[in-house]
Amino acid sequence: MNRFVIADPKLCIGCYTCEVGCVEVHVKVGLVGIPRLTVTHTVAGTMPMQCRHCDDAPCEQVCPVKAITFEDRSIQLNESVCIGCKMCALACPFGVITPYGALPQGETSMTYGGFLQPTPAPVTETPVHALLAWTVGQRTVAVKCDLCHFLPEGPECIRVCPTNALRLVDEETVITSNAERRAASVEAIATGDGLALHHPGL
Amino acid sequence: MADVMTICPYCGTGCSMSLSVTDNKIIDINGDPTHPVSEGELCLKGMYGFKHVADPGRLTTPLMRRGDSFVAVDWDTALDAIADQLGVIKKESGPDAFAVFSSARATNEENYVAQKFARAVLGTNSVDHCARLCHAPTTVGLTMTLGDGAMTNSIPELGDVSDLIFIIGSNTAECHPLIAKHVLKAKARGAKLIVADPRMTDMANKADLWLRIPLGHDIPLINAMLHVIIKEGLQNTDFIRDHSNGFDDLARAVEDYSPERVSQMTGVPATDIAAAGRAFATAKAAATLYAMGVTQFSCGTGNVVSIANLAVVTGQIGRPGAGVCPLRGQSNVQGACDLGALPNVYPGGRPITSEPDRLRFEEAWGVALSPKVGVKITEIPAAILAGKVRAIIVDGENPMMSDPNTQHFAHALEKLDLLVVIDLFMTETARRAHIVLPAGGWGEKDGTFTNTERRVQRVRPAVLAPGEAKADWWIFKALAERMGYQGMAYDRPKDIWDEVRRMAPTAYAGMTYERLETTHGLCSPCPAEDHPGTPVLHAGGLFHTPSGKAALKPVLFHPISVPEEERKAFDAPIIGHIAERPDNEYPFMLTTGRRVYHYHTGTMTRRAPLLEQIGPEELIEINPADANALFVRDRQYIKINTRRGSVIAKAWVTERVPPGVVFSTFHFWEASSNEETNADNLDPLSGIPEYKVSAAQVTKSSAADAQASVAAKREYYRQDVETAAIVEMRAHAAASA
Ligand code: SF4
Ligand code: SF4
Ligand code: SF4
Repeated sequence: MNRFVIADPKLCIGCYTCEVGCVEVHVKVGLVGIPRLTVTHTVAGTMPMQCRHCDDAPCEQVCPVKAITFEDRSIQLNESVCIGCKMCALACPFGVITPYGALPQGETSMTYGGFLQPTPAPVTETPVHALLAWTVGQRTVAVKCDLCHFLPEGPECIRVCPTNALRLVDEETVITSNAERRAASVEAIATGDGLALHHPGL
Repeated sequence: MADVMTICPYCGTGCSMSLSVTDNKIIDINGDPTHPVSEGELCLKGMYGFKHVADPGRLTTPLMRRGDSFVAVDWDTALDAIADQLGVIKKESGPDAFAVFSSARATNEENYVAQKFARAVLGTNSVDHCARLCHAPTTVGLTMTLGDGAMTNSIPELGDVSDLIFIIGSNTAECHPLIAKHVLKAKARGAKLIVADPRMTDMANKADLWLRIPLGHDIPLINAMLHVIIKEGLQNTDFIRDHSNGFDDLARAVEDYSPERVSQMTGVPATDIAAAGRAFATAKAAATLYAMGVTQFSCGTGNVVSIANLAVVTGQIGRPGAGVCPLRGQSNVQGACDLGALPNVYPGGRPITSEPDRLRFEEAWGVALSPKVGVKITEIPAAILAGKVRAIIVDGENPMMSDPNTQHFAHALEKLDLLVVIDLFMTETARRAHIVLPAGGWGEKDGTFTNTERRVQRVRPAVLAPGEAKADWWIFKALAERMGYQGMAYDRPKDIWDEVRRMAPTAYAGMTYERLETTHGLCSPCPAEDHPGTPVLHAGGLFHTPSGKAALKPVLFHPISVPEEERKAFDAPIIGHIAERPDNEYPFMLTTGRRVYHYHTGTMTRRAPLLEQIGPEELIEINPADANALFVRDRQYIKINTRRGSVIAKAWVTERVPPGVVFSTFHFWEASSNEETNADNLDPLSGIPEYKVSAAQVTKSSAADAQASVAAKREYYRQDVETAAIVEMRAHAAASA
C-alpha cells in the first residue's frame, strides 16, 4: 500500500504554514519552489489538499514519458523528465498536480516587490481551461507531493503544522485504525449502543 | 552556530522561539517545546518571517531629505538638526506642537523611553501608538467596567480549563493561530465553541454554534443573550450582588432586546441567540475572546462594555478559564499601553490628571509635567491641519498605510514643519519624512515584550544591527541629551527596566531581568520578587474600579440611531449605531482585516520571500451571489470605491463573506484598504475609527486597469524614493569604509 499525507479538517485552521514549509525544503534541494499542497477553503471546512499516492495512479498511467513512477511505496514525479504536457493534472481526480513554470534551480519562484510582478500576466485572460494558461518563456513542469522523500525525518508539512492537523498514513496506520474501529464497533453493539458506531478516524 | 531564545516579533500571542545564528545571520527558527503558550509550535509568520532582518533594504545611516530625495548623513548631523528644529518650534509654539508615535513592536523599555521623551523632554502628553487603532476601546471599556484594560486570563487556561469559548469579532485562526490551537485543545476536551462573526472564518466553521450577525451588531446580540439569561433566572445573583453595581439599569435596558426583536434586526434565529445565552450562563467556565471585529467601530467601547456586562452578570470572570479575553494584535501592544505610550496615562496606567501621580513622576524625572491630556493619533491629522501640531516623531509605525483615510493623512503630513521617522525600512511614511533614522530591530535588540495575556518575556539580540542603525532607546536618549535633558543616563535596557519597576511597582516591581531570564515570563501585575505573577485577574471578584466592584452599564444600539426616549430612560447609557451605512450610491459594505500570511503594512513579512510567495497580492472576498450579479469570476479583477478612495485587486469569490459585504486588507500598498476607510466617525469614548464598515461601490475591473492602478499607487507611495535612498546609503557606506 502506498503512503500518503492527509489533513484532519477538524484541526486545520487554514494557516498555510504547511505550504510555506513545503516550498522551503523543496527549494533547498533544487526542486521547483511552489507548494505541493494547497490549502483549500470550502463551506464545509478547510484543509490542504495533496497527492494521495494512489495505488493504481491515473497520473502514472497517462504520463507519456514515464516521468511519474511508482517508487518506495509512493508515486514520484521527476521534474527533469516531465515535458509539461499536463495530462497528469487533467487525470488526477483530486486536482493536486500543479503545472508550474519552473525557474532555474535553487531560486524561489517569486520575489517580493509588488503584485503583478510575481505572477506575470497570463497568455490569455480567459483561457479555454485554467490548466492551459501559462506564461511565455518559462518551461512548465508538473509538480506534486513527493512525501519529501529526500528528508530523513519525513514530510516537512507534518513537522511544521502548528495544530498537528497533518499525518502520514501508511499500512501500519490503516491496520491499527481498522483494529480500533472493529473493537469500537463490537463495544458499541455489545453495550447496546446498537449501530451507533464510533469513528475514531484513521 | 549559536541558538538564541527570543519572542516572535509578530502577533500578541508571544510565542517563544529559538533562532539559529551563523555568521551574524539568522538562518533558521524553531519553536520552544517548553513554552506554556506555543508548546513548541509556531505559525508561518513566526517560523519564516525573519528574512527582513538581513534585507538589503534595511536603513543603515540617518537620511535627510533634500528636495525629492534623501542624502545620507552621520548621526551627529541628523540629531543636531532634529534637536535644533524641535527647540525652535518649542519656542515658537510651545510643547503641544509636538506629537510622538510610539510603537507596539518596540520593547517595553523603548516605549517607556519614548513616552518619557515626549513628557519630560518635549513637555507634551501627545504620545500615542497604534493601539488607538486596535484596542483603544478595550483599554477604555474594560477600565471603565472592570478596572483593568487587559485580558483577564492566561492563554493556556483556554485549552486546559474553559468549557465554553465564545469568540466574537476575532478571526483567531488567522490572526492568532497559536491561540486558536488552544481553542481546538478545549474542543477536543469537549468544550463548546460559539462564534459570532459576519464572516465564515475558520473559527466560525469549527463552531458548535455560529451566529452570523451583520457587521457591527454585537451590542444587540449580547443584549439579547442577557435578556434570555435574566428572563430565565440564569444570572449569577450572588456575584452580581457582591461584586457589581448597576445591575437594575442593565436589566431594564436589555428588556427591549428580546431574541425575537434582535433576530429581526440581525437575521440570526432567535433560538440560536437564546441557546448561546443559556450555554454561556450555565457553563462552568466561559471565556469570551474578541479582537478588532468588536473594537473597530464607532461604538467600539459599547461593544467591549457589552462583553464585560455579559461576563459579570453570569459571574464568568475572575476564575481560571472564565473571563474576558481581548486578543491583542502586536507583539508588544499590551506593553506599549501599560508603559504609558498613551496621551492620558503614565506608565503603570495612572492617569496624568491625577495630581499625586504627576507629582511622583515630576520628582522622579526632575521636570515639571503637563497636566493636559494629549492628542490621540486619530486626532492628529486635524490637529496638523489646524496648525496646532507642527512636528511629529514616528517611532516604528507606518501610519501612511495603517491609519484610516490615507489621502487625508498624507495631506496632513505635507503640512508638518518636521517629520522624523525612526524605522528599519524606508516605509511609505518614511518616504514623506524630513529626517529618517535607522533603527535596530527585532533580533538585534534587548528588552522585554508583554504579550496579550500580560506575560512579560525577554527578547534577546541574536545579530548585530546593520550599518549605523541604533536601538530606539539610544536614539531618544541621544536626542534628549542634545535638548539639555540629563534624566536618561541609561547604558542598557536593563537600566530602563529597573526604572520602570520603580515607577510602576504594582505592575512590575517583582519582575527582575534575573527572574524573567529563568522563567517563561511573568504575568503582570507582579508587585514583589516573591510574587508568582497574576495569570487570572479579578480573582474573588475584586475589581480595580473606584468602588472595588464591576460597573455594569446599559448599552443601547440601533443600526441608524437609538430613539431619544430609549436614551432618556437611562442615566448615561452607551449608545451605538453604524456610522456609514450603505445607500443607493454606495450599496456595499467594505470591511477590513488581516490575512494569516502577512502582517499589517507588510514592512517585514513582504520582505520574507516565502511569505510573499504564499500571499503575493491582495484578494478581495466577495460573495458568489454578488460576484454573479457583477459577472465577476474568481480571481478576476474588481474595483472597490468608497467616498475616500479606490483600489483594484483580484476577487476571491467565497461564502466567507455574506452578500453585500466585501473584505480586504491593508497589507499591500498596491491595494491598501485604508485608502477607503473612514477617519471621521470616531468612537466618542476611545477615538477609534470605524475601520470595519465603509459604504462602497463594487465594479468589475480588468488586468489593464489593475496595472494602471498599481503604477499610480507606485507613484503615490513613492516606491522609487526607497530605491534611491538605498543607493545613497550604499554609496555612503562605501565612502566611509
Ligand atoms: S499547517 Fe496545519 S493547520 Fe495550517 S493550513 Fe496546513 S494543515 Fe492546516
Ligand atoms: S497526483 Fe493525483 S492521480 Fe497521481 S497519485 Fe497523486 S492523487 Fe493520485
Ligand atoms: S502565533 Fe503569533 S506569536 Fe506565535 S508564531 Fe504566529 S505570529 Fe508569532
